[in-house]
This record gives sequence, C-alpha cells and structure tokens, in this order.
Amino acid sequence: MSGYSLGIEKIDELIGEIRSGSNIMMIGPPMSGKDDIINTIIYNGIKDENSVIFVSTREPGERVLEWFKQNDQDTFDAHIGIVDCVTKTLGMVASDTEYIKRASSPVDLTGIGVKISQFFEEFLMKKNIPNTRLCINSLSTILMYSNIQTVFRFLHVFTGRVKSANALGIYVVEDEMHDPQTIATLKQLFDGMIEIKSNGDGFAMRIVGFTPKPTPWFNYEIDGMNIILQESE
Amino acid sequence: MIQTGITKLDDYLMGGIPDGKSLVYYSHPGVEGNVFGMQTLYHNLAEGKKCVFVASSSDPSMIKDMFKEFGWDLDAYDENLIVVDAYSGLVGATSNEKYVVENPESIDLLNESIEKVMEELDENSTIMFESLSTIMDLCGEKETIDAVKNWNLHGMLYEHVLIYNFTAWPYDSKTLDLIKHELFDAVITVGGIAERVIYGQYFGVLKTEWSDIELKSMLFRVLRPGGIRIYIPKIVVTGPYNAGKSTFVHALSTRAVSVDRIGTTVALDHGHVDHKGFSADIFGTPGQERFDPIIKMLSGEAMGIFLVVDSTNTKDFVRAKQMLEITKAYGLPLVVIANKQDQSGALKPEEIRSHFNIPENVQIMPTVADKGEGVFEAFEALVNKITEVV
Repeated sequence: MSGYSLGIEKIDELIGEIRSGSNIMMIGPPMSGKDDIINTIIYNGIKDENSVIFVSTREPGERVLEWFKQNDQDTFDAHIGIVDCVTKTLGMVASDTEYIKRASSPVDLTGIGVKISQFFEEFLMKKNIPNTRLCINSLSTILMYSNIQTVFRFLHVFTGRVKSANALGIYVVEDEMHDPQTIATLKQLFDGMIEIKSNGDGFAMRIVGFTPKPTPWFNYEIDGMNIILQESE
Repeated sequence: MIQTGITKLDDYLMGGIPDGKSLVYYSHPGVEGNVFGMQTLYHNLAEGKKCVFVASSSDPSMIKDMFKEFGWDLDAYDENLIVVDAYSGLVGATSNEKYVVENPESIDLLNESIEKVMEELDENSTIMFESLSTIMDLCGEKETIDAVKNWNLHGMLYEHVLIYNFTAWPYDSKTLDLIKHELFDAVITVGGIAERVIYGQYFGVLKTEWSDIELKSMLFRVLRPGGIRIYIPKIVVTGPYNAGKSTFVHALSTRAVSVDRIGTTVALDHGHVDHKGFSADIFGTPGQERFDPIIKMLSGEAMGIFLVVDSTNTKDFVRAKQMLEITKAYGLPLVVIANKQDQSGALKPEEIRSHFNIPENVQIMPTVADKGEGVFEAFEALVNKITEVV
C-alpha cells in the first residue's frame, strides 16, 4: 500500500510520503485560498490515479466540477465523487449524477455518511482503485448547523473509516469562526494539520504532525494548479 | 396493524406492527437505513392510511423528490400526508406546513407539535420520524429519550404506529442500550458488512414485543427506483447434462450470460433476478461429468440450490443425486425443478419424488423452462425457503 503526497513540492520533500489512513485538518483564515489548496491536493490525487470523494458544503456539485473543467479538462473523467450538501438546501430540484450524489442538507449527517460510504464502495470494491482521498470542505459549515459533539461523533466514525480504507482524509476548518475549545476537540481526531496564517500582505502555511517538529512557515502564491512556496522569515 | 412494506420483514414481525406500537430502524452509520422508514411510510400511504412525516434534516419541499428517487410518487396522497416541519427553523427558512416547530433545538416545542398532531389525527395513523438521531443531536440525548417515552405513550393512547429512523452514531453507550433494548416495542437493526469499506448491507429483527421469533438477518440492496430488495448473492442451478439448466437461468433472469460451446454450458451461466422484492444472483453449473471440479467451485457459499432434472429421462436421476453430493448441498434450501413437463412421457412431480426418493420437505416444482412456465413459482418457492422464519 503506497502512501500519499499533497502535490506541493517543497512540503512533500520535507514531510515525505503521508502514511495511508491519515487524517489531516486544514485550518486557516477566510479568503486565504484554502479552496484552491484543497482543489490542488485533489487534482494531484487524480494525477496519482487516486479516487477522490469531495464533500461540498459551500458550493453545488456542478460548480466544483466546473473548477476542474476550467483548469484541466483532461483529468475530468477521473474518479471523482462529490457529495453535494448545498443544492437541496437551496430548495433546488436536481437528481444525482454519475459524479454527484446529493445530501438533504448539512444537518443530514446520516445522508452525508451514506453517500460517502457509497463512493468508498464504488471506488475501492467496484473500480478497484486502492487509494482514495476524502475531502470535506468545510467542517465549519457543518458546525454552523450541528453542535461540536454531533460533529465529533460523525468525524469519529469517518476518520475511522478513512483509516480502515487506507485512504487520506482532509478536512477544512475556518480559523476565527470557532472557539479554541472546539478546535482543540477536533484536533484529537487528526494525525496532522496544514496550518495557514496571514503574513503581512499574503499568507503562509506549514505542516504539523508528520515530522518531529513542524515544517517552517512558507509564504505561498497560487497560480492555477500550482502552489508556489517561498520560505518566510 | 400496519405493514412495513418490506419483503419478508412483515413475516418476521408476524404480520406487521400492531396499532399503538413503536418500531425503530436502528442503522449503523453509512448504511441506507433511512430508506426503511420511507418505504414503510409510502406503503401505508398507498394503503390509504393517514401518515405523518416528521422532517428534521430535510426541507419539506424536497420530500416528494426524495421519495421519487425510489419511484414512489406522493402526489396522489397529498390529503393523507401531513408534515411536521422541524427543519425550516434551523436554517431560517419560512415554512408552508401546518405543523411547524419554530425552534427545532427546543424539545418542548417539538413535543408540543408531535402531541398536537397525534391528538388531531384519526386513530391508527402512522407517524414516521425522519431522523431521531438528528433530534437527539439538536435537543440532547436525555431530553430526546424522555420525549420518545412520551410520544410512544401518546401513540399507544391514540393507537397510532410510530416509526423512527435512527443512526447509531457513537452516542453514550447507555443511550444506545436504551434504544436497542428498552424504548421501543420493536427494533430492526440495519448494518453493513465491511472489509476496508462497507460492501454489503443487512437487516435483522433484534426484538419484537409481540412475538418471540428467532433473530434472522437478511442481506438487502436498495434499488432506485424500487426501494429495498432482499439480496441473495448466490443460488446455484445444477443438474444433469441437457436437463435445461441454462434455459432455466435465462428464463428467470432480467439479464444473463452463459459461457458455452456448441450449445452446452462448459463453464457457467450467470443471471440476475429481480422479482417480488427479491434480488438474486444465479449461477448455473455445467452438467457433464468432466466439469465436476467446476461445480464444486461454483457452489461454495451458495444460499440455495435448484436441482434441474429432465422429467422424461429417469436415467438422469442417479446422476442428479450425484451432483447434489458434489455441490455439498445437503442442509441447504433445495428445490427440485421437474423440467420439460410439456413433453410426452414426462413424469409428474410426485412420480419423480418416489423415483428419486425425495423427502417430503423438499418441493418439486413443475416447469417448462423454454416457455418460461413455472420458473418464477419455483424461484418464489426457493427464496421463501431461504428466508423462512425458523
């Protein structure tokens, strides 16, 4: 069983391969480009012939697919499954498609769980793809509708499923939206973190938990599918 | 009494759910337990009963679409379907429903609405809670348990049947024990078979207060459209050369393939059957002796056996018996197919029984497989045997 890499060059070199079954929290301030970073990680997963299960709580499934189409049409017939928690919440009628399954709302954790499990089965058992990435963007939206204990229970189950499926789980959290206790509670579930902070005019990121000490902070710029890092002071 | 509308489950419940009783579909996270409550609700609407849908995680305007996914059209039942909207308040939306819980995080307000709807309804209605776990998440475990006790009492008083969908997230173990063993009159567990990921689903009766049947678990699949189907992953069709096994498999199946050479099966036949709430995969073996090792391989882990014989050819019966031994089918549910009944000299099933010395508890079904006659009756006989209450 091979591990995973994020597809962010310098960081991959520093932390090496991420062990299968790992769960990572990505936490950062609003508008720091987290969507682009998670999309890049997914994109690189698809390039590595991983399958990707993407739980979208902020954008309808079609919009998520659009991003991939715009950036690189070729990878589009990849094995991607989107759990769309938005469309039905907006009261729009839309049926499931090959790539998109829709949950009733971000409150409907039962439904979200069922759809994630269905994609896991499809990718691992039916299509025989050994490596899968589960990305939830974002836990913060789910936390707006359900309390921390509820979300903890949900994640407890699904971080466990990521482990037993030898997958990689990445969960996006908005910094500054939750109290420190909520973040501390969530952290117990994860093996590592991608931390993002604002740094003067821009933003910087580092990885915690996969090396004895956190990696240095890197200022970054996003250029399409590429995340370009520079070491910051 | 109402029925659940789920194949076999009503048999396991000794006919269904008596008035005034409560039942919970207790599902493990990630399996499609929510469909059980929906199918029960739809079945009762279709029976002309008044039903209540307590929405706690879906927008009420989306309910019809949720059902449509399974081919269940609620438009015809507008008058009999009442929605308690315990969702809109959560997302700040306005509601068009008569019963609205302004603040779904308040168990008192929810309690008030549920009590009211139960009082105002005709007797013997069905009330289905879309997600008891969501109510628990929003209102607290202890508070919800107290409320459920009250609702069940009310249900008993007004002779309504209460159906709950519940997802067993890792709640306090005392809460889960209460739900599994004490709070409800009947508990149906819905679980997943997992190896790395969940790849199969089953349900079973954990308890019923009104009968003491033995626990029985059944695999199931959810079809869209179609709903819940009992799934039987392997039924083996065996029998001597030229008895009509492939013809039988093809006559039963909605889709089938055969690996054959010059008209005779050399490896296997495979077919898939969807019939009356059952979904089964059928494997036909070759009949010639030189393929006997394949028969052994094909029949591993079978849940039932069809033994096909040519009713006109008594010489074949010895070989048929030998094949039963190869499949190691003793003890498995077995139905003998007396095929080619339309041909002259065909022995009647009872004549075959005495020739073959078949015990009385094994059914012998007459068929004309190439005309499709009797094949589904035979299928029903075998699946009933496989799924019967012990």
